Amino acid sequence: MELRDSSPKGGVIGGGIQGISKRIGSKLSLFIFFVVVIVLILIGPVLPPGLMSLVLEMMILSIFAMGYDILLGYTEQCSLGHSLFFGVGAYGIVLSVLHLNAGFWVALLIAVALSFTFAFLEGLISVRLSEAYFVIITALFFSIFYLLALSMTWLTGGDDGLSVEIPPVSLGFASFSIYNSLVNFYLVLFFLIATYIILARIVSSPLGRVFISIRENQERARFLGYNVFRYKLAAFILSAVFAGLSGALYAIRLRYGNADFFSFMWSVNPIVWSLLGGMGTLIGPCIGVVIMSLFQYYVSAWWSQYLVIVGVLIIVVLRVSPKGIVGYIKSKREEALSGEG
Amino acid sequence: MIPLETIYTFIFLLVDGFLWGLIIALIALGLSFIFGMMRIVNMAHGDIYMVGAVLSLYVLGWFGSFWLALLIVPLVIGLICIPTERFVLRPFEGRPAVTMIATVGIAFIIQQTVLATYGGIPKKMPDPWPMVINFLGVGYPGYRILIACISVVVLAGLWLFLFRTSYGILIRATIQDREMASAIGINDNRIRMTTFALGGVFAALGGVLAAPICQVFYLMGNDVILLCFIVVIVGGLGSLKGTLLASLVICTLEAAMTIVLKPIEARVAIFAVMILVLIFRPRGLFGR
Repeated sequence: MELRDSSPKGGVIGGGIQGISKRIGSKLSLFIFFVVVIVLILIGPVLPPGLMSLVLEMMILSIFAMGYDILLGYTEQCSLGHSLFFGVGAYGIVLSVLHLNAGFWVALLIAVALSFTFAFLEGLISVRLSEAYFVIITALFFSIFYLLALSMTWLTGGDDGLSVEIPPVSLGFASFSIYNSLVNFYLVLFFLIATYIILARIVSSPLGRVFISIRENQERARFLGYNVFRYKLAAFILSAVFAGLSGALYAIRLRYGNADFFSFMWSVNPIVWSLLGGMGTLIGPCIGVVIMSLFQYYVSAWWSQYLVIVGVLIIVVLRVSPKGIVGYIKSKREEALSGEG
Repeated sequence: MIPLETIYTFIFLLVDGFLWGLIIALIALGLSFIFGMMRIVNMAHGDIYMVGAVLSLYVLGWFGSFWLALLIVPLVIGLICIPTERFVLRPFEGRPAVTMIATVGIAFIIQQTVLATYGGIPKKMPDPWPMVINFLGVGYPGYRILIACISVVVLAGLWLFLFRTSYGILIRATIQDREMASAIGINDNRIRMTTFALGGVFAALGGVLAAPICQVFYLMGNDVILLCFIVVIVGGLGSLKGTLLASLVICTLEAAMTIVLKPIEARVAIFAVMILVLIFRPRGLFGR
């Protein structure tokens, strides 16, 4: 029997700093990433307020999307309940500032730690299950907490939500008010860069290789002696922590949190982003976020049932190019390369 | 001494929970049946249920007969399900995760289409059989008893179909080992299509039956699908016996708990029970 080669074969776009010399693909995506970052740094001060808020939202959601793709794209676990961690992150910020009077960094830490805890407990139960059970369980978890958030108005404010005054960001030498939109912008940009670097490092590290091997052939990964359960749990927690971070930043941007953070939309959105942009890459989901945000921003203004298009889009993308936009470009490039050779 | 009123309320709630369990059993069986055949969870199942309820309201408006809706609507939805399976889901065959995402897409399309055409305001259907039946000293709405009877008949029909007809044997053979079934000349693609349609018929039937006792609106499927998920997890995905048993037990249990708890607390308690079952039996009570 021929052994199937389960090495990624350039399946990783975000190769990170380590892999610069190894893979052309990662060099390109690293280049794109740096260009985008520099452009963002430069245009920050001159963005008009409306556009600023849109870019801010895209950056925050990109963190969510990249984290989620570790789960869906790298270990092929389709979670339908990441809005739980998004909501937990948001409420982590809101509640710790409101009730504990926490400072900015402490509140953020609490938010991330909370989503870590939730993910750990949920992961222990759900990760070992088969695909279909995993989807159902994650969906059930978020639904139950959504219902709880809606009904426990004394804690969460329910549908009306809770407004909160975000404490200033202290950096040791000075502290900045988050109400200055430029401060908010650079803060989110910092987290976006940090997320990308951390995830790119993880993806190109041995840990990331194991993730990919689980995606390609779970049985063989187990056969080689890897504790598949533990690695799947790690991917689950990792994606949830970034979902929590993203939720926290989203709540900071709005200075507000309500039960809608737990809603089904926030569970489906990361799937749509990853699918559209390209699963199994780090850049892809960000492209998905940009497209979907623009789409939502412009289309929802004149057609309230734009979700129909989202539904059609999901099916069409799955049919036409299961690896999304990035996958499509990559396959075209490979075709061109092999054509030359 | 417990007052008689309390006991009556208790009996009423239990019977009500049991009857609701019969409707849930119909819907969850569809879900479980589809899983048994295709290894996927149909995320649009709750929305098919919702469409069943909404369409029955339309049929009632056009023809003035609820009983006609009970016949026509599941049939129509079953017929719609066939091309859906063939042209939307078939291309993703063998990749459960992808197929499930595709059904999420279908769910979005259904939900938003209903929102656009039917509107977002909940409507109430008039009781098609306004009659009160005295049962253990409790006056009970006749229609709910009727639902129970219809459900039992349909469930028995399914059982007969699966275990007493030759087509049922083909279906069970395909569920057991699809490749082998295909090898001995069973048209497994057609069986797959039939199964998906049958699952849709059951969801729609549940929707029509539930329409007179629920608020009919475009999100009514969410609540039901949540309960169905819990049911199939406890009973074991793909196990028809387990699904039936679990839906009856869970719905009765939830109804019994609402006596002392708020509905949301009862739901959370049921969820906790499910987690416990899952920890000790990862494939549910009757799962394979």
